Amino acid sequence: MALGIAAMALVLFLLLPLVAIFVRVLPQDDLRDYLNRPVVTEALRLSFITTAISLGVILALGTPTALLLARRRFPGRDVIDTLLDLPMVLPPAVAGIALLMAFGREGLLGDALDALGLQVAFTTAAVVLAQVFVASPFYVKAAKAGFEAVDQELERVSATLGRSRLETFLRVTAPLARPALLGGAVMAWARALGEFGATLMFAGNTPGRTQTMPLAIYTALTEDTTAALVLAAVLVVLSFAVLLVSKLLLGWSPGGSRA
Amino acid sequence: MLDVRVQRRLGGFQLDAAFRAAQEMTVLFGPSGSGKSLTLQCIAGIVRPDAGRIVADARTLFDSDAGVNLPPQARRVGYVPQNYALFPHLTVEENIAYGLRDLPPAQRAARVREMVELMALAGLESRRPRELSGGQQQRVALARALAFRPDVLLLDEPFSSLDSGIRGGLREELLALHRRAGVTTVVVTHDLEDAFLLGQRMAVMDGGRVLQEGPREEVFYRPISRRVAEFVRTRNVLRGTVLSADEEALHIAWRGHVLEAPPRPLTAETPVDVCIRPTQIMIFRLDRPPSETRQNTLHGCIVEERIQAETYRLFLRLAPSGAGLVGGGPAVTDCQPSADDGPAHYDLEIELPGYVYFRLGLDRRKEVTVSIRRDAIHVIPGGDP
Repeated sequence: MALGIAAMALVLFLLLPLVAIFVRVLPQDDLRDYLNRPVVTEALRLSFITTAISLGVILALGTPTALLLARRRFPGRDVIDTLLDLPMVLPPAVAGIALLMAFGREGLLGDALDALGLQVAFTTAAVVLAQVFVASPFYVKAAKAGFEAVDQELERVSATLGRSRLETFLRVTAPLARPALLGGAVMAWARALGEFGATLMFAGNTPGRTQTMPLAIYTALTEDTTAALVLAAVLVVLSFAVLLVSKLLLGWSPGGSRA
Repeated sequence: MLDVRVQRRLGGFQLDAAFRAAQEMTVLFGPSGSGKSLTLQCIAGIVRPDAGRIVADARTLFDSDAGVNLPPQARRVGYVPQNYALFPHLTVEENIAYGLRDLPPAQRAARVREMVELMALAGLESRRPRELSGGQQQRVALARALAFRPDVLLLDEPFSSLDSGIRGGLREELLALHRRAGVTTVVVTHDLEDAFLLGQRMAVMDGGRVLQEGPREEVFYRPISRRVAEFVRTRNVLRGTVLSADEEALHIAWRGHVLEAPPRPLTAETPVDVCIRPTQIMIFRLDRPPSETRQNTLHGCIVEERIQAETYRLFLRLAPSGAGLVGGGPAVTDCQPSADDGPAHYDLEIELPGYVYFRLGLDRRKEVTVSIRRDAIHVIPGGDP
């Protein structure tokens, strides 16, 4: 009974603000109009493209990293492990200023990037970097746990049955860690989609180039509250859909009941 | 044919094992922590030995001197770990086909069908491992390991996770499978019964070393050290001393008796352990002394008995040497109950079939004469403490 009351209170608290958005948005008769406004479509497009690229980078670099951390013992492993957790607890503002100090014009790599004719800060690339910085730990942590849960005896047997390391990874390790990999990827993507602070400081707030959905909402709030609300509602619906689909996918994972 | 010599340090443990296996099934037997599984993993290529040489059918799998170390996928060694390690996300069929990637699809399917039939798995093809019983899982693991026709098959504690009730049947299955598949097989076990029933050839391991290696009967009946005798649970290991040795016989003093054994080049006063198999001791009723001259005639009384279904185990306390009825005289052995009774206070253990027990009218407190053929006496020199 007490459990139920506590749960009910929390669920209501989580639900109420979301409901509040839709209470304001749904009665709008020019909803379609708002959805077609450039500020909305540009922000949506940019968020989609940048989060897709960020997720690609995170999967490509995070998967080997997670496997390394899960399977090998080497000096400095704990340091790397902790370092990977750091962006999860750092305030985004710190991440933003740190990225500026590394890749900005005055940053550590500023001269080198300048010499190559590259400018990173305040470009779409900076949006991706900020997202990768804050979101990759979510994937790496989940993937590492997923790989650790796969019985290494299975990998050994796979090797004795003539399979190379890569084949063993693709046919045994990855399928068995799939729920963790998928879950981690969804969490990382969601974190990238919601990235605000670091993006604002490191990439700026240029519509069409660096103004992602969260920045657009923040910008619109003062000028056009309804546009901000519509963007927020779109974000809520999108996030919910992605979480739901990934849950269903997990439910169908082969081998089964691990999800 | 498998020829193994491996050394491997693992923390404070030093593996230094050598043995051979041929067509017959070979058992690596020893207590847990003796390095059996580690040896198996070295053969499979999962653990890299520090030094040594592993040769299977003239193929060198590992040779530290020549710098050869084939990866596990190139060794053609079927490996079945203790928990079977079936792929939980694959069906029975897919598990069996896992090592057959190189075959064209039609042949692969044919080979899988063949293995399904051989291992009596028909009807279970599309099940997942968790939907199988322990015995079925073991059969799938064996099918998977044998499907790609390995040169060597390695089984780590194949029955340890199974109920004792189905062990017997599975042992028979494994033996039958081995006869049919004809592949050099090494089985690791700490179970003496498994070892005896499966291992035509045995290597007894302890502390990372092979203490004794040879045909099963040799290891069981002629252990080369007291340690091996303890592991294979040899009963009647008697500590004695060499009295005299010549070309005719070896005479050993033991608890005031003299035992005659086949000749061995040992000097007098050498401490020895004498092994006498309980089934090799002949027993006679006191009132019917052996008619012809028997070897090693002793007598005493039965102080305890244990009945195991059709087999009787009798515990005998011997009378002092010279006493008793060798010439048909009166009994001088005190066979009355005493505080020292029970299996803890006996000199010899005898095992005989129930019908002999009844025919001789044996019972607790009965006085008997026993005779031990000298060929049945195995002597271990050394007598280390």
